[in-house]
Amino acid sequence: MTVIAAGLLIVALAAAAGALGGACAPARIRALLAGLLTALSGAGGITAGVAALSGQSWSMRLPHLLPLGSAELSVDPLSGAFLVIIGAVAVAAGVYSVGYTAPGGSHPTDDIEPAHETVPDAGGAASRTCQATLPLFVASMLLVPAAASVTTLLLTWELMALSSLVLVLADHRSRGSVRDAALWYAGMTHAGLAAILVGLVLFAGGTGGESFVSLREGADTLSPGLRSAVFVLTFLGFGSKAGMVPLHVWLPRAHAESPSHVSALMSAAMVNLGVYGVVRVAFDLLGGGPRWWGVLVLAFGCLSATYGVLQATVATDLKRLLGYSTSENVGLMLIGIGAAGIFAADGNRPLAGLLLAAAVLHAANHAAFKALLFLGAGSVLRATGLRDLDRLGGLAARMPATTAMFGFAALAAAALPPGNGFVSEWLLLQGLIHSLTLGGTPSVIVAVSMPLAVAVVALTAGLGAAAFVKAFAVGFLARPRSDAAASASEGPWPMRAAMASMLLVCLTLGLAPALAGAPLTRILAMLPTVRDGAPLAGSGVTLHLAGIAGSMSPLLIAAGLLGVAAVVVALVRSVGARRPRRVALVWGCGGTRLDPRMEYTATSFAEPLMRVFDDVLRPEHDVTVTPYAESRYLVESVQFRQRVPDRVEARIYPPLLAAAAWWGDRSRAVANGSVHRYLAYGFFGFVAVLIVVGFTA
Amino acid sequence: MSEAAYVQSLNLVVGGLLLTAVLMLWWRELRAIVRLLVAQGVLLAGLAGILAIQEGDSQLYGVAAGVLLLKGIALPAVLRRVLRDGREATESEPLVNAASSLLAAAFLILFAYAVSRPLVALAPSPATRALPVGLSMVFLGFFLMISRRRAVSQVVGFLLMDNGIAATAFLAAAGVPLIVELGVSLDLFLIVLVLQVLTARMRLKFGGTDLDDLRQLRDS
Amino acid sequence: MSTQPHIANQVVLVAPLLGPLVAAAAGGLLGWRRSIAWGAVAASVLILLSGVLVGVRTVGGGAIGVGTVLRADALTAVMLLVIGAVGVIATWSGVSYVERELAAGHTDERGARLYALLVPAFLAAMVLAVLADNLGVLWAAVEATTIVTAFLVGHRRTRASLEATWKYVMICSVGIAMAYLGTVLVYYASKQATGGAGSLSWTVLAVQGDQLDSGVMRIAVALLVLGFGTKAGLVPMHSWLPDAHSQAPAPVSALMSGVLLSVAVYALLRYRVIAVEALDPRFVRNLLLVVALASLALAASLLISQRDYKRLLAYSSIEHMGLVVVGLAVGTPLAVAALLLHILGHGIGKAVLFCTSGQILAVENTTEIAHVRGLLARQPVLAGTFAVGIAALLGLPPFSLFLSELALMRAAAGAGMGWVIAPVLLLLVIVFLAVARHTVGMLFGDQPVPANDNSGAAHPMRLSRLESTPLVLGLVVLAAIGVVAWPLQPLLQAAAAIAGTS
Repeated sequence: MTVIAAGLLIVALAAAAGALGGACAPARIRALLAGLLTALSGAGGITAGVAALSGQSWSMRLPHLLPLGSAELSVDPLSGAFLVIIGAVAVAAGVYSVGYTAPGGSHPTDDIEPAHETVPDAGGAASRTCQATLPLFVASMLLVPAAASVTTLLLTWELMALSSLVLVLADHRSRGSVRDAALWYAGMTHAGLAAILVGLVLFAGGTGGESFVSLREGADTLSPGLRSAVFVLTFLGFGSKAGMVPLHVWLPRAHAESPSHVSALMSAAMVNLGVYGVVRVAFDLLGGGPRWWGVLVLAFGCLSATYGVLQATVATDLKRLLGYSTSENVGLMLIGIGAAGIFAADGNRPLAGLLLAAAVLHAANHAAFKALLFLGAGSVLRATGLRDLDRLGGLAARMPATTAMFGFAALAAAALPPGNGFVSEWLLLQGLIHSLTLGGTPSVIVAVSMPLAVAVVALTAGLGAAAFVKAFAVGFLARPRSDAAASASEGPWPMRAAMASMLLVCLTLGLAPALAGAPLTRILAMLPTVRDGAPLAGSGVTLHLAGIAGSMSPLLIAAGLLGVAAVVVALVRSVGARRPRRVALVWGCGGTRLDPRMEYTATSFAEPLMRVFDDVLRPEHDVTVTPYAESRYLVESVQFRQRVPDRVEARIYPPLLAAAAWWGDRSRAVANGSVHRYLAYGFFGFVAVLIVVGFTA
Repeated sequence: MSEAAYVQSLNLVVGGLLLTAVLMLWWRELRAIVRLLVAQGVLLAGLAGILAIQEGDSQLYGVAAGVLLLKGIALPAVLRRVLRDGREATESEPLVNAASSLLAAAFLILFAYAVSRPLVALAPSPATRALPVGLSMVFLGFFLMISRRRAVSQVVGFLLMDNGIAATAFLAAAGVPLIVELGVSLDLFLIVLVLQVLTARMRLKFGGTDLDDLRQLRDS
Repeated sequence: MSTQPHIANQVVLVAPLLGPLVAAAAGGLLGWRRSIAWGAVAASVLILLSGVLVGVRTVGGGAIGVGTVLRADALTAVMLLVIGAVGVIATWSGVSYVERELAAGHTDERGARLYALLVPAFLAAMVLAVLADNLGVLWAAVEATTIVTAFLVGHRRTRASLEATWKYVMICSVGIAMAYLGTVLVYYASKQATGGAGSLSWTVLAVQGDQLDSGVMRIAVALLVLGFGTKAGLVPMHSWLPDAHSQAPAPVSALMSGVLLSVAVYALLRYRVIAVEALDPRFVRNLLLVVALASLALAASLLISQRDYKRLLAYSSIEHMGLVVVGLAVGTPLAVAALLLHILGHGIGKAVLFCTSGQILAVENTTEIAHVRGLLARQPVLAGTFAVGIAALLGLPPFSLFLSELALMRAAAGAGMGWVIAPVLLLLVIVFLAVARHTVGMLFGDQPVPANDNSGAAHPMRLSRLESTPLVLGLVVLAAIGVVAWPLQPLLQAAAAIAGTS
């Protein structure tokens, strides 16, 4: 048995055992069993993935499973990369869940609006159903990249959707918004599945076989129109799973409402499978396509990146912010993939390879820091029962480990060194920037779209930094803005251990990205239109880009930064040591003592940006002035409410839903209860059919 | 029977069938309509008899007798009982008035002739040339069902349809195989009995048999 | 197609007919009691067993028969399995259903006796329909199901159930009369083709199909599709279905929705083999497609703002039958295998759901979706079964409907009908959204304010082992046949070889 087969067997067996344990074990050890077996399942995925990335391959057919379809599994380097990413997140989430679902979390307090920001003690995530579903979710995610036939892929894909839906619903008893989120999620994911299904089934119908091998072989025989239809349908389907704007509407909802380890799994692992699907179908199965495919992907990528980051900067709900940031990062990956598609169509293999490698590397980086961020947010939520940044604060003193790790992840998410997000975004920018200087005169599309993409990436990086400065500074620093935040404390150690493991991954990827060079090269070698040399080379210290003159050493940058920081600290200390320390009240505008209500909040932090992007975001303000009963000139209280509704969502979805509801209401008249009417349907149907029969004779 | 006598008697019987069908659509007196049903049953039995003589098929004589028993006697008897139990001798305001009904009937008969051209073309013979009549009866029966309010009228429409199909079967293929004929007759008889019971229950629950009272189950 | 004479064959074919008839006679003579009810379950098991035995004998092709009347091949075996499986679930749930109805005073001794008589008779009629070689007998058996179920639909003797019965009997009789006209015309064509001795035997007609006159067969096929389509709940004569299914006792709804509709589709499956020989296959395909897509569209439209969960299930049956007929229109062996698997999966899933909804009705005293809220919190087992059943019905894995729908789509694409997939899936997504919204509303949410004192909320009723076992068993079987190919796949392929044409 090969290592890959053994790894996948562990995935399946551990998940089955975990599901059984979660369903049947007594409550005391249920969390431990389910969590650890989930982690084991993830470890199996990592094993299989690493083996595949180091050059092994494996495939298998299971003839006695799946009636009327073929059950086929196969693992190649591309699958391997995603197996490793998902497996790593699963290990962390599994371990984390042991602590997260243990009793002792924060209770909702009375002064909190119940519909928005409460989490009960351990919550629904500790229930039998959820504990049993968690390992199944992980296993189905790990099987998606291993699937090697249309039936297998769609089956594992839908199993993944179904199991995650159950997990999203975990807290349905405590919050009504969970129901809503689950419905949106179910609807969008099912529509996405339908698109993928149509695309792949047409593909299979055109090639005469449903295994990936026959799809690859037959792809060239399809007509260009059919190839494009397959691509567009699968791109939209996978894109909706990846949280691509404007198909992202489920994402901020579902990622915010589900238990936090599930959010981590969804945002860091599941979303990547959408990216996997796009690469698998477009570059591998279809074997590349015309240039406009790339332009389409690039356009959606730019839209997602810009819109996602904009919403993230103005979000005040911590988990929603992270959710929108996922849309942003998926956008960046799509930019890489789209640009790679354009260059692949132009025959510029080095650039295509570099950009695709950047996208895949960004998927890994994003998975690492986003998992850490969601786990950190989960720790905060469990300790305080709050997701609203405006009510948090002061956690640095109370939850130091969580704060430190969240801070590093925020750095990475803001694409600043030494975070790992920096590396892949740098690669992406290198690829986009060099597009104009390389390969003679660029085509019009390249000349227009690449600078735009560069601008989008730059804007995204800047706004992303603002968003995460806000999340970290307002959420964790300064003084607590609510009692819940003031009484916060660190959760059980498995949570911190899980976060530490993700921190380690972030650090490794951030400081030694050259480690990913060989595996990325193996992935690119699989893809016919991108296949070319090594995009990344170098020792552990310096990263060289093949084909273009670019090199960077994250390790040296980190060392330099550390050095500068040390100098600054030393200077401050030495300057500060000369003056005696004096304890005094901070000036409170001459009247009151400083209290937490005067602090900078997330809303106020985002206010300037809100003004700048007013036309895009269109926030809704609501000011209520309540005068005293005695005189309406004396104000008792002023309430200011601001909502930033999702404009893209509001433009597209409500009209669709309203149209459907209208149609549903109208068509009810068909069944009006009259037996005469019913028979008349038959009579006229009968006559009509006979007329048709008569006339087509 | 000579060929001419056969054709003449066949046409006479078929003409009678069509006439009774049209009259059913015209009249509103339910007892009279049931009498028309009796006549139709007798005519159908006659049709089977004529075919039996023509084909020299002894089995068909039995079928003719059976048709007479079922459609000429038993089913009208059931309907009479339904009418006796209730006090609704006349169809109340039908959904389509008599003039329009007759106009529709004319169209439907024409339509039947148009539709059944392939049927006649397959094997032109005196019997198959009369096939459009069978089809017309089916159409007229169906139309009767959608245009009358009373439960009994709908049953009559259904029986008219069924007579039309039986006529078609006789004209096209001198009847279906015996086992099928038996099954079909048994089913028909039971259905009418079921409808009788339902009509009685309807009278009990709704105080009448106006089908427009049946509007509780609906989506609108 | 050789018919092997064998005494064991006769037993295998006669037993599933005789078993339910004996159970019916016992029920009619002795009235309702538990042992009689278990007799009906035993009769269903007998049907299931004979399905297995017929399957074992015919999986390699060929057929077994008794005289010229009864004949069984692999296709029959699949249908016997469907009838048996759904029959077991429905009759098993029926045991407690009737007891509860008697206890609640919804029915009396006479009603219970009628139930004990008619339900097995219903099963016998459907078994006869699939075993009959003669298409006329098949028709008579399908018509007999209308007669038998008439008083079952009206079992509660309320105004609403009477109304449903009238509509059911009237519309179905008219529809099935159309099918009879079609049968007569097929006989006419057969008689002219052979010059005298016509036949309605399927075995004969399937062989002489290409000699039948296409002009007559066109009309006949149109009539047959509309006629049997009525019984299968297809547009335009579908209107009886939501009324009858929502008023009938839950186990009867299960049988009607789970098998009766499929038996009508089975008739079309048999006729299709003859029709594609006699006619331009495109005519048959287009006719079936129009009917199927119209049914799907209608079901999707009326599911959007459905207010009654029993009617919701009924419209979902229309949707699934539409899907099955899409498979019929495609007609390749893969499509036929897929549609048979779909029939089996839908039968089991719908049976479980109707029985569950009967229990929800007993607990909540309402069939309004809007009045059932927070069911999961109050009735975890019941709500869980309902949720899982709905998930199965919406085509989610691991249940077999996912694979059968997928195979159906693959078959359509493989047959060059790729354009059909898009509208079908669009409608399926609409159905998914509508049903999911209604289900989420019922399962979650705030508990309703008790409307009256005798509402179920005041007296929570737990599901007994007797009630929950058949339901859970059904769902487990549904998942099993959705994951494991053996032993069903060879049988499905053998059946598809009979009814499928490339």
